[in-house]
Amino acid sequence: MLPDATETRPIEGVGAFVLRLRGLILKELRQTFRDKRMIGLLMIAPMIQLLVLGHAVNLDVDHVPTLLADEDRTAESRAYLDGLTAGDAFRRVGVVDSAQVALSEVSAGRVPLAVVVPRGFAADLGAQRPTRVQVLVDGGDSNRAIVAQNAVATYTLRRSQALIAARGLPAGAALAPVRIETRVFYNPSMNSRIYFVPGVAATLLLVVTLVVTAMGLAREKESGTLEQILVTPLGGATLFLGKTLPYALIGLIDLGLVLGVGTWVFSVPLRGPLGVVFFAGGLYLMTLLGVGLLIGALARTQQQALVAAFFLIMPAILLSGFATPVENMPTWLEPVTRLNPVRPFVEVMRGVLLRGAGARDLAPQLVTLAGMGLVVFSGAAAVLRRRLG
Amino acid sequence: MSDVLTSSPALEARGLVRRFGRTVAVSDLSLSIAPGELYGLVGPDGAGKTTALRLLVGLLTPDGGEARVAGAVSHAAGGALRASLGYMPQQYSLYGDLSIDENLRFFGDLFGLSSTNFRERVAHLLGITQLTRFRDRRADALSGGMYKKLALACALLHRPRALVLDEPTNGVDPVSRRELWELLYTLVDEGLAVLLATPYMDEAARCHRVGLLQGGRLIAEDAPAALVRAFEDLAYFVTAADRDAAEAALHDLPGVRALSPHGPGLRVIVAAADAEAFRRRFASADMRWHLEPTAPDFEDVFLMRSIDAE
Repeated sequence: MLPDATETRPIEGVGAFVLRLRGLILKELRQTFRDKRMIGLLMIAPMIQLLVLGHAVNLDVDHVPTLLADEDRTAESRAYLDGLTAGDAFRRVGVVDSAQVALSEVSAGRVPLAVVVPRGFAADLGAQRPTRVQVLVDGGDSNRAIVAQNAVATYTLRRSQALIAARGLPAGAALAPVRIETRVFYNPSMNSRIYFVPGVAATLLLVVTLVVTAMGLAREKESGTLEQILVTPLGGATLFLGKTLPYALIGLIDLGLVLGVGTWVFSVPLRGPLGVVFFAGGLYLMTLLGVGLLIGALARTQQQALVAAFFLIMPAILLSGFATPVENMPTWLEPVTRLNPVRPFVEVMRGVLLRGAGARDLAPQLVTLAGMGLVVFSGAAAVLRRRLG
Repeated sequence: MSDVLTSSPALEARGLVRRFGRTVAVSDLSLSIAPGELYGLVGPDGAGKTTALRLLVGLLTPDGGEARVAGAVSHAAGGALRASLGYMPQQYSLYGDLSIDENLRFFGDLFGLSSTNFRERVAHLLGITQLTRFRDRRADALSGGMYKKLALACALLHRPRALVLDEPTNGVDPVSRRELWELLYTLVDEGLAVLLATPYMDEAARCHRVGLLQGGRLIAEDAPAALVRAFEDLAYFVTAADRDAAEAALHDLPGVRALSPHGPGLRVIVAAADAEAFRRRFASADMRWHLEPTAPDFEDVFLMRSIDAE
C-alpha cells in the first residue's frame, strides 16, 4: 500500500465559503439535471400546465345551452326567441311548448337555462299591454347564472326599445331615461384569460419551488446524506444558501418561460417594465424558498414534507385573489390574505403586464414582498442553523 | 504536530449522558482514544453504540458530560473540530445519484480542499481503496464493500486526526471486509485514531482496545487479550448431534452459567468454583456426550460480562 505523503491544509475564510457554496450549488444542479423526471417537473410541467390551465380557466360565458319554451306559438314569440339565440351568448338546445317541461328539464340539471314565452305574449304586445317572459336558471354555477340572466335581460330591453321605436315613440323614452355606457380599460374585451395567466404563473412558481426545496432537504435527511454533510465544516448559512440559490435560479427561468408562453399563446400584453416583474419574482422566491426549507427542516420524511407543502399551497392559492377577488372575502380573512406572498406577487404581475404599472405604482406590493422575503428567509436560516447546525 | 497534541487523546468522552424521553441511551460514558489507536465499541443492537458515536462527533448534544475531538468540545463544534474529524455513519450517507468522482468532489469542496490538494488526496485514496477504475460509476451502482470504501475515502479526504466508524462492515462481503480491515490498520499505523462500533465479536477482537457497551453503560474496557486473560470462568465444548437434548440435560448441572450452540455442539461456561462439581455430575449422570475443556474466547468474555452486568 502506498504511503500517504500529502499534506492537507484546508482553505479558510472567504475562499472556503465560496468553495463550499460552489460545491453545494453544483451538486444540487447536477442531481437535478441528471434526473430527467426532475427537469420535467421543474421546467416542462409548468409550461404544459400553463397551456392547459390557461385554456381551461376561463370565466367568459358564451354558448350557454338554452332550452326555449314557446307557449304562445306566434310569429312574435318566434321572432323573440330566434333573436335571443342568434348571437354567441346562447345555444339553442331545443324548443318545447310548455313551461312545465322547461321547469323539469332545468330542475333535473339537464339544461342550465330555459326561457319561457307565456301564452298571450303576442296578444299583449298587440294590445300594448305590458307582458312578461320567464327565465329559469340553474344557480349551481353562480357566475354563469348571473351572466346568462343579465344577457337575457339586456337582449329583452333592447328588443323592447326596438318595439317602442317601431311605434313611433323615441327609443328608451319610457324605459330608460338614463343610459349607462360602459368603457372597460386594460382588458376591453373582458378576456378572462389575460386576467388569469399572470395568476396561474404565480401559483405555478409557488408549487414548483416550495415542493422541490421542501422535499430536497427532507430527502437529504431521509437518505442520511445530511448527517454526512453536518460533520463537515460547512456552516448553516452556507447550507441554506446552497439549498436555495439553485432553485431561485430555476424559479426565475420558469418565470421567464411562463411569461413567454403567456405572451405568445394567450396574447397577454407586456405593457410595463419586465425588470419589475423579475425583481418582484426574486423577492417572492425568497419567501417561497424560505418556507420550503422550513418545511424540509421540520419534516422527517419526504412524504411529510410533501403533505405539509400542499397544506400550505392550497390556501395560499385560494386566498391570493388569483380567481376570486380578495375584496369579496370576509373581513376576518383579510389579515390572513395579507400574510400570503402570492397576493402581492399576483398584483405586481397583473399591474405590470395588464396596466403597464411601474415600480412606483406597485411600491406597496414590492415593499410587502421584500418584507416577507427578508423575514421568512432569515427566519428559515436561523431555524435551519439551530436544528441542523 | 507538537508533542502536546500527540500526547493528548484524539477522541475523548467524559461522563456522557444522553436520554431520549425516558430512555437513557447513553449513561455516564467515559473513554479516551489516543492517536494511532484502534478502539472498538462493542455491544448488541440497542446498546447505545450509535448514540455514543453521534455524541462524540457532535451530531447530538449530551444531556450531561462532554465529548472532545482533538481537544475541542464536540457539540459546540466549530469548523476547526470538524476539520480534524472523519465520520462514517452506519446507513448509506453518500449521494447515490452522483458518481464516485462527484461525491468526492462535493465533500472535497465542503472540506475546503484546494484543487491540487484535492487531486493528490483523491489519487491516493482511490489508490488504496482500489476504486480508481470505477470513478465514473454512480454510488448507488456500487457493491456494499465498494460503497463503504467510498464512504471511507470521503471521510478521509481532509486527513482527519480521528475517524469514527459506525458498523463499517455491515452489509459487506467477507473479501471486502478483510480489505477494509487492512485499510484501517494502515491508517492507524500512520497515526490516525479510530473508533468503531461493531456488533461482531471477531471484529472487536481485532481492535487494540475494546469497550463493552450494554444498556448505554460501559461494562468493561481493556485490550481483548487482557479481557480474555481476566476471564474467571471455564469454557467447555460438548460434542452433541442432538443439541436440544444436550442443552436440556446440561442446563441444571451445577455451575453452568451459559450454554450456546456452537458448530457441532454446545459451548458451556462454568463458574470456576463449581467446575469440580460440574465435571463429577457430568460423569455420574452417565451422559452420552463428549466433554472437553476449551480456551475461552472474546465472545465468552462478552457474553459473561453482559450476564454479570444484568
